[in-house]
Amino acid sequence: MSTHPLQRILYIEDEPDIQAVACLALETVGGFTVEVCGSGQEAQAKGVAFAPDLILLDVMMPEMDGPNTLKALRGIAELSTTPVIFMTAKVQANELADYRAMGALDVIAKPFDPMTLAQQIRTIWNNCHD
Amino acid sequence: MTDAAAIQARLQALCESYAAQLPATIREIRRQCEKLRDTPTTDDLKILYRLVHGLTGSGATFGYADLSAAARAMEHCLKDLQDRGSVPDAPYCDRIETYLQIIESASIKAHDSSRPNLSAEQRIQQSTDMENRLIYLVEDDPHQAQDLSLQIQHFGYEVRIFDVPEAMETAFQQQQPAAIVMDIMFPDGELAGARAVRELKSNCHEPPPVIFISSRDDLAARLAAVRACSDGYFTKPVDVTAMIDILDHLTAHRVAEAYRILIVDDDKVLADHYALTLSQAGMEVVTVNKPLEVMTHLQEFNPDLMLVDVYMPECDGLELAGVLRQQPDNDSLPIVFLSTEDDDALRMQAMRLGADDFLFKPILPDQLVASVRSRAQRARVLRAYMIHDSLTGLVNHSTTKDYLQREFVRACRQGTQMAYGMIDLDYFKTINDTFGHAAGDRVLKSLARMLQQRLRKSDVIGRIGGEEFAVVLTDTSAATALSVLDGICSSFSRIRHYYDGREFTVTFSCGIATRENGDNTAALYQAADQALYQAKHAGRNRVLLAAGAA
Repeated sequence: MSTHPLQRILYIEDEPDIQAVACLALETVGGFTVEVCGSGQEAQAKGVAFAPDLILLDVMMPEMDGPNTLKALRGIAELSTTPVIFMTAKVQANELADYRAMGALDVIAKPFDPMTLAQQIRTIWNNCHD
Repeated sequence: MTDAAAIQARLQALCESYAAQLPATIREIRRQCEKLRDTPTTDDLKILYRLVHGLTGSGATFGYADLSAAARAMEHCLKDLQDRGSVPDAPYCDRIETYLQIIESASIKAHDSSRPNLSAEQRIQQSTDMENRLIYLVEDDPHQAQDLSLQIQHFGYEVRIFDVPEAMETAFQQQQPAAIVMDIMFPDGELAGARAVRELKSNCHEPPPVIFISSRDDLAARLAAVRACSDGYFTKPVDVTAMIDILDHLTAHRVAEAYRILIVDDDKVLADHYALTLSQAGMEVVTVNKPLEVMTHLQEFNPDLMLVDVYMPECDGLELAGVLRQQPDNDSLPIVFLSTEDDDALRMQAMRLGADDFLFKPILPDQLVASVRSRAQRARVLRAYMIHDSLTGLVNHSTTKDYLQREFVRACRQGTQMAYGMIDLDYFKTINDTFGHAAGDRVLKSLARMLQQRLRKSDVIGRIGGEEFAVVLTDTSAATALSVLDGICSSFSRIRHYYDGREFTVTFSCGIATRENGDNTAALYQAADQALYQAKHAGRNRVLLAAGAA
């Protein structure tokens, strides 16, 4: 895994309301560069060109849900090792283990606090790269 | 670093746009629920699940924590169905309906002054500011508990249900409710509920009020309740309206509205000095330096008391009092004079013109505050008798008209929105004829209370006739007024009224007009009345907008 600082985040979330708050939290508060995708399909199309350091992925989406999106992205060579963090409203212990088994760094619970989301992501990132 | 205030402002803007589209989202969920009830399909179930899931995730982010919690409960229920690959049957639909009602009321509650807000500090601030409306309900029969909880929530309370006293005691250590509603009988003892309360009360400095509910009406049970220092006792089935009466009474610690004082003094420095003194004492003050401008302020500010300097150019204080006393609307307004001289003749003249008090400059701050406060207080008590309807406590017809006029003028001047709603109970005469006038009075009171609970404190609610009510909603669009009153209409229709062992429900019809319906209040009144008539004609139990309302 790379040890360079976290800068580019590919963010996949279907709810426009949440997208808006998360973008504010990540770009304005956190200073990250963010590419927002409204679906897994969109992420497949845009992912390689954006070359993200991290993928932030909503679990519950219509058509292609978070885990399936992850599988699809892992099938793309350039994105096969990019770290992933899931976001979900329902974090239960057994689900957490499932997401970890899929290769997620961690899971962030919704609703998140927009003022601390960026810091939360940085902490997860740093813990995994120490 | 980016400016934190700018970020907060953008978050606030996002919150506002979320709040604006929320009623439409919830209506969509209701439509989907109804579709599912009519013809249950797994596809429609899936759509409903998606919609509700969206609320779960987004609600709390935008400050609607209750909404998220309710949506999550509903989501679990739907997920369970979906996992089993089945579609909801009638009892399941009822369960979904229960959740939906809680969601609806949680979304309307946020329309109330609790603004969504986002930073952790602000959240904490808000939770301490908010009135405690949490009720712990301890009842071992889940069906009864759910049912009673829903009825209580209709009146703006939050309810947590516990099936045994021990579970409630654990929660009690974490958070104190505004009141406890406790069943007396539990599996471990005929009077286990009373025993638990006695222990709780003896271990707690300021125990919250407790109301017992019981299927027992015997002296032993009632005595046990009294010995546990209960504040109320209701036999099942519980008369919810009566219980809310007691709950409202027990949990009311409303801060009294600040006294409004209008200061008229041509000396700006002095006027500001008095204003500062009075506002430090918690009063709301408006100062006017030109006596001829008093009339506009009287209308809009609606002061409890006017403090007037005797010597002013243009028009002196005594002349001003003379003018006001010739107008019926201002006849009861207390007028207190301020003067530099101790002149008995002047004082006599002032009294003759209707002055209530005469103070001499220079006056000590404490003395000014004390004189003004006691006058304002008495004036308010007297006025309360004059302007309120004695049965419901709402403002009466003529006062409602005054408020409407005032809000209309203000909205026109500031270019803001306002809505006027007229509400009429359906088939009220039949209720009176069937159950008697005492039952009818209770229905009137319960509607009054529901309107008070569900609308904002800044909204005006009046009883303008036998079974007619009117509401003046400030800064409110037609769409918001429709959604809020629609929610109240549907909640009210679900309230079960009890009288003399009989149970019945009552509905109302409502017509709404807005500023766009005319350039005076008479036009507004007529438009609302017309919409009300159409609502009646279209089958009652509904809320309609006047044509052209916006």
